[in-house]
Amino acid sequence: MTQVPMGAVPKKGEEKLKIRKRSNQSIWKQMKKNYAAYLFLLPKLVLFTLFVAIPVLWAFVLSFQEYKIFGSEFAGLQNYITVFQSAAFMAALKNTLLFTIVTVPFGVITALIGASMIFALGKVSQSFFRSAFYLPTVTSMVIIAMVWRWMYNYDFGLFNYILGWFGVDPINWLGQSSTALWALIIMQCLIPFGVGIIMYLASMGSISNALYEAAKIDGAGSLKQWWHITVPLLKPTTLYLVLLSTIGSFQVFTQIIMMTGGGPGNATETLVHLIYKTGFRDFEFGLAAAQSVVLFVIILIFSVIQFRVLRHDE
Amino acid sequence: MSKMFRKSVLTVASVGLAAGVLAGCSSEAEETGSAEEFEGTITIWDGPRWPDKDDNKFHWLEQKIAEYEEANEGIEIEMVQVPWAEMGDKLGVAIAGKGWPDIAPVDISGSAVSIDHIEQGVVEPLDAYIDDEAKKDFYENALDAYTYDGKLYGIPNSITLHTMLLNLDLFEEAGVTPPENGKWTYDEFLSAAKELTFDRDDDGKTDVYGFSTYIMPGYYEAWPFFYKNGGSPLNEDMTEFTFDDPETVQAIQDLADLKLTENAAPETHGGNDVGGTFQAWANEEQRTVAMQPWATWAIGAAQGAYPTNFMVAEYPAGDAEEAKTIGGVGGWTMFHQDGDANKKAAVADFMQFISTTDEQVTMAQNYGVFPARISAAEKDPFAENPEMARAMEMSEQVVMLPRHPEWRKIDEAIQTELQLVFNGEKTAEQAMADAKVVVDGLLE
Repeated sequence: MTQVPMGAVPKKGEEKLKIRKRSNQSIWKQMKKNYAAYLFLLPKLVLFTLFVAIPVLWAFVLSFQEYKIFGSEFAGLQNYITVFQSAAFMAALKNTLLFTIVTVPFGVITALIGASMIFALGKVSQSFFRSAFYLPTVTSMVIIAMVWRWMYNYDFGLFNYILGWFGVDPINWLGQSSTALWALIIMQCLIPFGVGIIMYLASMGSISNALYEAAKIDGAGSLKQWWHITVPLLKPTTLYLVLLSTIGSFQVFTQIIMMTGGGPGNATETLVHLIYKTGFRDFEFGLAAAQSVVLFVIILIFSVIQFRVLRHDE
Repeated sequence: MSKMFRKSVLTVASVGLAAGVLAGCSSEAEETGSAEEFEGTITIWDGPRWPDKDDNKFHWLEQKIAEYEEANEGIEIEMVQVPWAEMGDKLGVAIAGKGWPDIAPVDISGSAVSIDHIEQGVVEPLDAYIDDEAKKDFYENALDAYTYDGKLYGIPNSITLHTMLLNLDLFEEAGVTPPENGKWTYDEFLSAAKELTFDRDDDGKTDVYGFSTYIMPGYYEAWPFFYKNGGSPLNEDMTEFTFDDPETVQAIQDLADLKLTENAAPETHGGNDVGGTFQAWANEEQRTVAMQPWATWAIGAAQGAYPTNFMVAEYPAGDAEEAKTIGGVGGWTMFHQDGDANKKAAVADFMQFISTTDEQVTMAQNYGVFPARISAAEKDPFAENPEMARAMEMSEQVVMLPRHPEWRKIDEAIQTELQLVFNGEKTAEQAMADAKVVVDGLLE
């Protein structure tokens, strides 16, 4: 059985083949045949329906309403018009895009490089670095944000302390519009992308050694092997990680609420923080739902583009 | 309090209530219900207050619940402990999901519950349970804070205000005389702030700054400075933004210039770090700022957890020649009840049970707030606490924030612009002109 790397995308021909096969049997017959599998899936399906599918659909419905506690009113496209006319939304979109465009490539590339370096080590060292890089992933972002807030502290933060060694004046990292968003971007970039490293390591293990041996015979050095064999064969994993981290970056929230509150001014306002404020501070749930739908569409567009650019074609 | 006594209080209250509503129509009397006839659970949310010997900060309400349940068989009161920092968000979520408690400690003009909620019926009016005679025992501004469209939407239990806290050790170290009786002009304050900014060890770096505060939506420590020349954010009928008048613009620029041109405030002045700002004044390890404005809770903190040699002073008076401060009112609010008139009566009864004169005296003495009841204030709860007594004198200077349904958005529009003034990115004039565009849009 061919081992398909995690996150692999089926080839076009395979897709067609599967669809044709499915059409020969009714879905009901298939379900009957594989009833045990569906039974195992049922709890997850119920939870998904209750806590994901229904709320998402409800948010879509809500986006066409002026929300009132006791009886909402149909508002047509008014919430969407408000979203696109809002300077705050546009500022948040701009900040979120900048955050995503910088942090996603940085995170994925460093994860790839990190995983490649770890993969070359012995098993004990691999286990150690795998755990070390995965640790931030299981640490609450609230805790990480608190630590970074301290590191950015003007008076006794780590960064200004280090700058002081070189005679550089301290920087008000989170207090100036010119530095606040970049401070958050730097923070995001310097938190190791643990999931990426783990997934790359898993995928690297499934690349056939014969390819490297053949390349060696052909005279390819380590770097050439990495560039021409490892990187292309990890493309499905890269696609998955890029999609995953793009969605995560568009939804950046905890750092914002813990470290800047969107300020100074609107310098660090992001889309999810704005949605949160619109919903739970202003209680304009219809407008917040419309903002969420717009964010969903933006993420969808980005995902489709990434999917098309990075998909694993023949 | 004995069970029999509690029952009799309930009975008297019910009779009084019945008498009070006789003037009204009979259907209204039916709607009022009877607390005695209710059996069931009442849910109340509260935040941590002062600790007992076991460091339990909910002991006061737990004790009151036990007393009430003992006196009222069949009524169970369930308390949900909520950190104050999360109270607004949790209530917001609860309101959105129609899962609100029966009672919560909120200011109806605050961030969790708004006038818009009152208009939508989320908060219950209490006029049927508190007659005009009972209302006379509350300070007018306390009642005003819970009154909308002529109806009372909460029982005020405390008044807070903002004061200036002066570290007297740093005044002494810098050889600066504190203001006599805590009263001063802005020029005197500015002069003190400059003198209090000094390099203790001659290493070329400033060790102590004269003043600092922070700017964040929903926080108003700095705002009395902006009122010093007679300004206010909105005009009287709340149709126009007025923080852009030249006097207020000057007042805002004055406070920002403490850092930007006078170097009498640290770089973090006007930032958004509430905890860090307080630590700079109160923490024994730091004490890098001599003067800061805080709400009255900080007086208790400076007398307890952060023992400091300090005095309470007024905000400096500006061109208006009168010191001003921003006040707030705390109290208990009843959330929407579905039809059960008896439950409503029981909820109102319990709210009154924890808002008596004695309870407000207890609260004042232990929790660093001023009573909302005149009778409680007359019991002189701060006889042995001159700093709180001094702060209480300032209640005459209190101005309340505008009570506009869109206040949270207006506040954010102003405060985000103020942040840019304090970090030097905009002048006060530019910032308030920009804020005016947004605020006038909201007022329309």
